Amino acid sequence: MDEYDEDKNPNGIINLGTSENKLCFDLLSSRLSQSDMLQVKPSLLQYPDWRGHLFLREEVARFLSFYCRSPAPLKPENVVVLNGCASLFSALATVLCEVGEAFLIPAPYYGAITQHVYLYGNVQLVCVYLDSEVTGLDTRPFQLTVEKLEVALQGANAEGVKVKGLILINPQNPLGDIYSPGELREYLEFAKRHELHVVVDEVYMLSVFEESLGYHSVLSLERLPDPQRTHVMWATSKAVFLLQDFGMSGLRFGTLYTENRDVATAVASLCRYHGLSGLVQHQVAQLLQDRDWINQVYLPENHARLKAAHAYVSGELRALGIPFLSRGAGFFIWVDLRKYLPKATFEEERLLWRRFLDKKVLLSFGKAFECKEPGWFRLVFSDKAHRLRLGMQRIRKVLTGTLRVAEDPPSSRTQEPRGQHI
Amino acid sequence: MEVILHLRQIINEFILQLESRHEQEDLEQEEQQHRQNIRNQEAILIHLMCEVVNLLHSGASSSLELQLPRLSLVSKGGAGSGQQAQSSREPDQLSHQLSDSKTAFISCYLSNRGIDFSALYQSNLQDFIAYKGDKYHEDKNTLGFINFGLSENKHCIDLLTERLSQSDMNYIDDDLLQYPDWKGHAFLREEVARFLTYYCKAPDLLDPGNVVVLNSSLSVFLTLTMVLCDPGDAFLIPTPLYSGFTLTSHLYSKVELIHIHLQSKMDTQTFQLIMDKLEKALLEAKFKGEKVRGLVLCNPNNSLGNIDTLDSLKEYLEFAKRHNLHVIIDETYMLSEFRASIPFHSVLNMKSLPDPNRTHVIWGTSKSFGISGFCFGTLYTHNKEVVSAVGAFGFLHGIAGLTQHKLCRLLQDGEWIDNVYLPTNRSRMQVAHRYITNKLKTMKVRFLSRGSGLYIWVNLKEYLDPCTFEEEQLFYRRFLDNKLLLAPGKAYMCKEPGWFRLTFTDKPFRLKVAMQRFSEALTHKKQNWIEKQLENALVESVSSPSTRRSSSSSSSSSSPSSSLSFSSSSFVNVDTSHF
Repeated sequence: MDEYDEDKNPNGIINLGTSENKLCFDLLSSRLSQSDMLQVKPSLLQYPDWRGHLFLREEVARFLSFYCRSPAPLKPENVVVLNGCASLFSALATVLCEVGEAFLIPAPYYGAITQHVYLYGNVQLVCVYLDSEVTGLDTRPFQLTVEKLEVALQGANAEGVKVKGLILINPQNPLGDIYSPGELREYLEFAKRHELHVVVDEVYMLSVFEESLGYHSVLSLERLPDPQRTHVMWATSKAVFLLQDFGMSGLRFGTLYTENRDVATAVASLCRYHGLSGLVQHQVAQLLQDRDWINQVYLPENHARLKAAHAYVSGELRALGIPFLSRGAGFFIWVDLRKYLPKATFEEERLLWRRFLDKKVLLSFGKAFECKEPGWFRLVFSDKAHRLRLGMQRIRKVLTGTLRVAEDPPSSRTQEPRGQHI
Repeated sequence: MEVILHLRQIINEFILQLESRHEQEDLEQEEQQHRQNIRNQEAILIHLMCEVVNLLHSGASSSLELQLPRLSLVSKGGAGSGQQAQSSREPDQLSHQLSDSKTAFISCYLSNRGIDFSALYQSNLQDFIAYKGDKYHEDKNTLGFINFGLSENKHCIDLLTERLSQSDMNYIDDDLLQYPDWKGHAFLREEVARFLTYYCKAPDLLDPGNVVVLNSSLSVFLTLTMVLCDPGDAFLIPTPLYSGFTLTSHLYSKVELIHIHLQSKMDTQTFQLIMDKLEKALLEAKFKGEKVRGLVLCNPNNSLGNIDTLDSLKEYLEFAKRHNLHVIIDETYMLSEFRASIPFHSVLNMKSLPDPNRTHVIWGTSKSFGISGFCFGTLYTHNKEVVSAVGAFGFLHGIAGLTQHKLCRLLQDGEWIDNVYLPTNRSRMQVAHRYITNKLKTMKVRFLSRGSGLYIWVNLKEYLDPCTFEEEQLFYRRFLDNKLLLAPGKAYMCKEPGWFRLTFTDKPFRLKVAMQRFSEALTHKKQNWIEKQLENALVESVSSPSTRRSSSSSSSSSSPSSSLSFSSSSFVNVDTSHF
C-alpha cells in the first residue's frame, strides 16, 4: 500500500481508517525488549495445552479480576487463550450455532465480524439498526434499547432465521459508546428471556481515556442474569492493555472468559488451529503481570496521548463545523458528513470516501459498519501528532472543496463526552 | 469386554426398533405433543442406558468408542411447537448426544457440531491430560508418565532453547507490532522461499509469492481442504495416516478421506504405496459416486517413517495429473532423516512438476526443529489462486509479528543449522534409534526400521489373542497402567490390529526407563496369556464328564437371561478390579 512515511513517502496515504493504537509503540518496544521478555524455556517450545499455558491463564484471570473489578476472583479454568479476537468469534460461532443460524448485533458495528463468524462458522449476523435520531425513550443518538432488540429478534424469527445469541461490544466500535451497568443488565435480561448466549467483546476496555465516563465490564456485575450463557472476550490487540490496548495488533492474543465449561471445552477443541506460540504466551504473561509498569507507565501515558490526540482532532472537526459523536473511549470518532452528500445514498458516501483517498487520507465509510444511514465515517485518531495534522489538512481540503447541501440536522449536534449515565 | 459388547448390541437393537416405530407413527396423524413427550422419555431412557454402559466400560477402557447409529428422535415433533424454543431444543440435544456419543458428553448449550468437536477433543486428549498432570522426572517424579505416543523431537530442545535465547532474536520494530499481511510478513516469506530452495534442492529459486505462512502445518491443511473442496468431496489418502488429518478434514470442510490401506504382508516393501492400489481406490470411489478432488501424501511419512523415492513421487504425481487431482504433500518431517539409505527428495526438487497448479507442499518447523509449541506452518504452491484463497483465512491462523521475526532469524542461520543443529540432531537420533531397536531385537519384537521420522512402528500382533482392535486397545491401556504412553495403530486408521507407534526422540535416561516399562508390559502380557491357556486347558479337562457340569451350573447363580450368552467362566476372566 502507498503508506505515508515522513521521510520515504511524504505523499503517501495517511491511514486514519485502521483501528490501531500507534501512539505508544515506543513504550511497548522498550518494555518488550527487557530481559524478562527474552527468556526461552523448553516447555514453551513444546506441545502445549491448547487452551493456553496454565501460567498465562492464571495471569489472565488475575488481570481481568483486577481491571474488570470482578466481585470475586476469576478462575483460570474459565479462561481459554487463542491467537486473536477473530479466531474467538469464529470458534464461538461454530460451537454455539449450527450452520445458517445467527447472532444479533447492534449496527453500526465493526464490519469484519461478519467475516469472522461466516468464514468457518457459516453463521450470519442479524443487525439491530440504531438511529442517529433521538426518538422516544432514547437519550442519545445510536442508542441500543431492549425494544430494538425485541423488534430485531422478532423480525429474524419471522424470516425463519434462528437466533442463538447476541454480540455486544463494550466500549463500542465504531461509536466509542459505553454501556452503563443498568443498560448491560437490561440487555442480559433480554437475552436470558429468550435463552440467547451473550458474547461481550471488551477489547477496548482499557482505552477509556475519559475517566469520568465510568466504564463497567460485564464481569464487574454482582450477579449475571445467565452466567452459563455469558461469554466475555478480550484481546491485547485493542485493549489498551494488551495487544491493541497495548497497540500490538501484531501480537495476536485473544482470550475468552466464561463460566460455562462446555463452551470453554468446545472452544478449546478448536484451539489447535488458532494456537499461539509458547514464547508469545510468555511475553503476554510478563506484560499482564507487570502492574507497576501498566499503572504507572503505560496507562497514564497512553490515556494522556489518546486524550490529547482526541482533543486535537475534535477541535479541528468543530472548527470545520462537522458534527461528531465523541464518548471518550476507543481510538476513533464517529463523524457525521451527511451534509456533504448531495444525495443521501451509499453511492455518494463511497464517492466521498474515494475523494478522501485521492487526496491521500484513508477513513472508513459507514457502510462498512452496516450503518443504516449514509454519510457517517469513522476516523481513527490514535496516531502521532504530525500525521494527524497532515490527515486533518487533507480532510479539510476535500470538504472545503465539497458543497454542503444542508444545514446540520438538529439531532446530530456535537456530543461532548458524557458524564455518568443514570 | 464381551459383556459390554453385548450390552451395546442390545441398545443398538432397541434403537433400531424405536426408529422403525417412529417412522410408522409419523405416517399416522397422531397427537404431536403426546408423541413428543413419549419420545422425550425414550431419549432419556436411552441416554441412561448408554451412561450405564459407559460407566461399566470406563472400568475396562475409557477411550473405546460407543458406536450407535444416528438417531433423529424429535425432528418432526419439534417443528410443530416452534415458538417454544426451549422444549424443542433440549430433546434435540439429548437425542444428538445419544446418537453420536464418542464419550458421554452432554450439553444443552452447544450446537451439535460444538458437541461433536468437544467429544472428539476430550476422547483424544484424556490420556494426554493424564500424562501432563503426572510427567516423569528423573528426580522428582520417577513414577510419572513417559510419553512415546506424541511425535515430538525432545532430544534437541536444548539446542533450540539456546539458539532462540540469543540476542538477535529480540529485535522489536514498529512494523512487527502492527497488522501484517495475512499471508505472512514479506521478510518471512522471502526467507521461507530461500530456505526451501536450499534444503529441498529446488532447481530454480522458489518464489516468495507462492508462500503462505500460518500458525501450524495443520492449519495449512485445514485451509487447503476449505479452498480445494466442497463439503462431501473426498481425498485419497494412504493409511496408516496422521490422525490430525482425520480430525481436520471432518471439522469444517467435511471432506471425506478415502483410505488406501497398506498392508504389511502383501507388498514387496512393507507398507509401500503401490500404483495399483491408487488406481483401484480411485475407480471404486468413482463407482460409489464419490467426488475425489485429490490425493494426500506425507513424505517422509508420519507414523511409518517411509521415504518415497523420486521415481515413486513422479508416478504419484503423474497419476494425479491423469485424473486432474490435486496433490497435497506434507513434507513436515523433511529434516528428520538420520540414515542415508534412501535419500529424501522433496517434490520441489523435481526439474518440472507434472501439474504445478495442482501440487501443494506443506512444511513446518514443529518436527524438523522440534519446536511444536512455536506454531508455524507454511504452504508452497505455484497456484496463485490457492495462495490467495488460503491467505484469505490467514487472519484466523495468524502468527505474531515477533514470532515471525524469530522464525526468520532461525531459518536464515544456515551456518547454525548445517554445522550445529542438523549434525547433532542426526547423531542423537541415530544413537536413540540404535538403542531402541537393539532392545526390541533382544525382546524379539518385530518392528519397521526406517531412516527417518521420529518413531518406530512396532508389531505386537503375536501378543494379541485374538488379534483385534479391542485387544489392541486393552494392550494400550496396559502400557498406560505401566505409565508408558504409546500410540495404537487404530488411531492412524491402520487396517490391521497390533501395530503401535513408538516415538524414540527423547533423552537417553527416559528411553531407558521407557524400554524397561515396555518390556515389563510385554512380559506381563505373555504371562497372562500363558495363564489363560493353562486355565482353558484345565477347564476342558475338568468338564469332560457332562453330567457333573450341569448339576454344578444349576446350583450356581449364572446369568438368568438366555440372550446374554456368555459363559460364567469367561465372565470370571474379566478384570473386576475396576467395578
